[in-house]
Amino acid sequence: MDGILFHVSSKLLILLLSISYFTQEISCLYEDQAGKVDWKISFIGKVKYADFGNNKLLVATEENVIAALNTKTGDLLWRQVMENEAEQQIQFFNVNKDVTTVSGDQTVVSYWSINNKELIHVIPIEGSHIEITSFYLETGEIKGIPKKINTPWLKDAFKCASSKQYFACVQKNGEIEQIRYINLIAENSEVLSKPIEFSETGEAEILSFEHEIPSVLLVKNNVAKIVHFKNDVEILAKTFLPNVVNVKNDVGNQLYQLEINVNNPEKLLKVKGQDKDGNNQVSVDVEYPKGLGAPYILAGQCRTNNCDLLLSSIDHALLFVRIPEGKILWTREEALSDIVAVEFFELPVSELDASIENEFKTSSQDILSMFINRILTQSKQLTKVFIGSQLMMNSMLVRDDFGLHKIIVVVTRIGKIFAIDTLSGQTVWSYRLPHVVPFDNRNGGDVMLFVQRTARYSPFPAQCTLLAKDDTTGNTVMFQFDPITGLSSRGVVKLDRKVKQAMLLPYEDKNHLKPFITIYEDHSVKVHPEESTVIVKKHVSSIYLYMVDEDAINGYSLQLIDDRLQTFRHWNFLFRGSKLAGISTRPSGERVHSQGRVLPDRSVYYKYVNPNMIAVATISEDPVNKQVLSIYLIDGITGMVIYALAHKRARGPVNLVHSENWLVYTFFNERYRRRELAALELYEGHVQSNSTFFSSYAMSQLPQVQAQSYILPAVPLKVTVTLTERGITNKCLLVALNTGAVVEIPWALIQPRFADIPCGPEESCYPYMPEIPLHPEATINYNQTLSKVKGISVAPARLESTSHILVHGLDMFYTRVAPSKTFDVLKEDFDYKLIILVLIGLIAASYVSKTLASRKAIKQAWK
Amino acid sequence: MSNRSNNRRSKWSLDSTKTVSRITDNLPAPPAYNLSNIPSSSEVTKKADISRLITKKSWDIALTPIKQIPMNVFIMYMAGNSISIFPIMMVGMLLLRPFQAIWATKSTFKVIETNAIGQMIIYVLGNFVNIGLALYKCYSMGLLPTHSSDWLAFVEPPIRQEYLGGGHILN
Repeated sequence: MDGILFHVSSKLLILLLSISYFTQEISCLYEDQAGKVDWKISFIGKVKYADFGNNKLLVATEENVIAALNTKTGDLLWRQVMENEAEQQIQFFNVNKDVTTVSGDQTVVSYWSINNKELIHVIPIEGSHIEITSFYLETGEIKGIPKKINTPWLKDAFKCASSKQYFACVQKNGEIEQIRYINLIAENSEVLSKPIEFSETGEAEILSFEHEIPSVLLVKNNVAKIVHFKNDVEILAKTFLPNVVNVKNDVGNQLYQLEINVNNPEKLLKVKGQDKDGNNQVSVDVEYPKGLGAPYILAGQCRTNNCDLLLSSIDHALLFVRIPEGKILWTREEALSDIVAVEFFELPVSELDASIENEFKTSSQDILSMFINRILTQSKQLTKVFIGSQLMMNSMLVRDDFGLHKIIVVVTRIGKIFAIDTLSGQTVWSYRLPHVVPFDNRNGGDVMLFVQRTARYSPFPAQCTLLAKDDTTGNTVMFQFDPITGLSSRGVVKLDRKVKQAMLLPYEDKNHLKPFITIYEDHSVKVHPEESTVIVKKHVSSIYLYMVDEDAINGYSLQLIDDRLQTFRHWNFLFRGSKLAGISTRPSGERVHSQGRVLPDRSVYYKYVNPNMIAVATISEDPVNKQVLSIYLIDGITGMVIYALAHKRARGPVNLVHSENWLVYTFFNERYRRRELAALELYEGHVQSNSTFFSSYAMSQLPQVQAQSYILPAVPLKVTVTLTERGITNKCLLVALNTGAVVEIPWALIQPRFADIPCGPEESCYPYMPEIPLHPEATINYNQTLSKVKGISVAPARLESTSHILVHGLDMFYTRVAPSKTFDVLKEDFDYKLIILVLIGLIAASYVSKTLASRKAIKQAWK
Repeated sequence: MSNRSNNRRSKWSLDSTKTVSRITDNLPAPPAYNLSNIPSSSEVTKKADISRLITKKSWDIALTPIKQIPMNVFIMYMAGNSISIFPIMMVGMLLLRPFQAIWATKSTFKVIETNAIGQMIIYVLGNFVNIGLALYKCYSMGLLPTHSSDWLAFVEPPIRQEYLGGGHILN
């Protein structure tokens, strides 16, 4: 009996131990794990100024970054990110012994060390008229008294340029255009002028031009002439292209310009070097990559017999060309520093798996063909076993078991699409859409990226559609492509109208393609592809839309009038003078696994999970409370306000995150001068009104709302939430801070506590803490600072525990997070060898003991 | 072996049985010895005894589970409601033993060769009472999935009736 008892209890023990409890702990990395799954690529933005100095390439960019690049590889040596690029844009950049920049409207002169990004001096300058102040750059002291110059003729400051001590402007006096210039450092300087003699028509423009002799470039109708200021102004007779650049070499000055190579289709670009009189000295053909936009020269440097040119393309790529070889040494895709849309894509299954899948699909075929099919696939399998395709599997884009290998498709502001491999961070393909820009919204640009079909349906390729705006006409353009290969069957399709709004439908046609609808200004609706109109007509009563305006949110339903689809306004929500500060809906494709919360008395408090809910934050001016932040939860179908609350003396920026049955938002509390984070959670109550269907119309009572707010001891830039395949894993908030860290905050830490229910470790509940602890270990990007984060994108992996994270901004950082730790995979350091050894040992021991036991039994029988 | 030794020794033999029987035939019976009476009366008492013993034994077996109840109640009370290895072991035993007993009812009553249907029923019922007790213990320990929260993981998310799309006006 005792034996049985022990046996039963040991089984129970194993059962109990196997029920693992998901801890809320935050995982952090060991030193050797850094860079194992994550990667970071640093960018600098569109280069505005560039110069060579001290064997480095120094650049200043529109993102307000000063950086030094390695001329051989193009790698970043150092990067200095300055704040507030809107107001403190770099206006002047000069590399001498060190780097001098002048930036901003409230002008600041900064002097940087060339070797280690150290800021040596900052000199603020005030005043709005022309005033000359001299400094000693090394010390920052002012030399002499500032000198003021009277410039009543200076009306249009955009038509001015400065070159060394000269300041020149183009002025139109009736019909005659003249150049007015002044020597700023001369003792008694006065404004001189000279008429422009130009055979071309059109308005003259003035550009700055680097040369030993102070000079500017006069451009008229895409033809440029060099103007030298010596004792007198001299306009050179020879005409150039406006992208001409002067590079000093041993012989003298050489002028480089780029021309299109008409004769050679292989090498599209021709670099022409000539002296100032136009005598051709060098002409080099360059094999210019076809995917890049038109280039222009930024800077050049010459040594004894070779020259280096830094080119930039109009799609923000940076190229480094060596002449006379005409070879591109390196390319940097700076377009990736401004991403507007991100989507993660599952890879297709390998050819073999696809053939096996097909075998089961085509069951209608006759026996013979099926048999041949089977033999073929199995012979393929056999050859695979012998030849071994592991190497191929790694290099190819083939789906893995856990869905950890994915393709990230990013759309950049300049209209270039990149596909990036999650494992290596390398660009798989890129595609430039000329003259395509994002729609301009309040949040600074947006495109529509629809995933119509994933790579799951193997004979059909995955399909993705991008909707953006044509730069020239303002109409909408549509680009449909395969996200895995980048192939587009139709290319860029220009629609003849402006699309007001678009929506991807959840229904699939027979080819597993999800159609999408576009809505136009005249309320008409078009279905893409057109064959799917039948599907849309079938489901017309369950499709709803909302559109956010400057001063209202409008809800529309789809209706069938005279067999034509039209939108019909259903509800509207007016802001009434307040400003929209943020809007959030639930992540599409999010699954909520648990429909309720278990209370300590073991009853269930059902969640109010409304997939149609829109969370809106508005800020309104108030005479008493300065600013009031209002939060509304609106049902997007009926337009009913489910819940509303207001924070007095609060201001933006507001970050809203809505997921499952909760909402989290951050704002600035002006009374206590601190950032706060508030969480709202909606519950249906102890009974679920309808457990099989959810309809916004079938709402019987308003949900019960729990709320709690916290102090956030940091400045959040972007907030998002993790997403997993089935929604079983705990949720984590990902908060990008202005310090360059992305912090993981477990949802359990901020989940509102019930007032009447005890909270402690027994209930697996953290007691309320007013301040959210931000542990350094919770930083998912450990010591890799991420500058100017513009967004965080999340996608689930096929492993339930894991989500993919892409943080983009000036840096692009990819990693995987597991909020409940990787409970569904064995640890990396799992000792397979030991376990195999133990198993083999046990089997051997059992056999040995078996023979020994039988021998003993025989011996006993003989006794 | 004995045969061989017999043969070896069979030089002469003495048959004593005949003589003994002969002697006993002639000898009168000892006083108070009734040759005809003994077998008949002892047979009757033996038969009655055995059947009584069998019923007694069968009832003993049939009532053991019921007799165990007070003991089980005491064990349960002592085990407490906390979920740790020993209470779980005890509850497991309390739950498993009656089942095993019910399973083995036939073999238990094999000892009693007569039919004892009534006793068997009582035995099974007693075991059921024990199972009930163990289940009550499980319930008070919170091991039975009797609350709605125990079935929460199997609740499917409701199917959406309406779909919403949209966002900022694209201009």
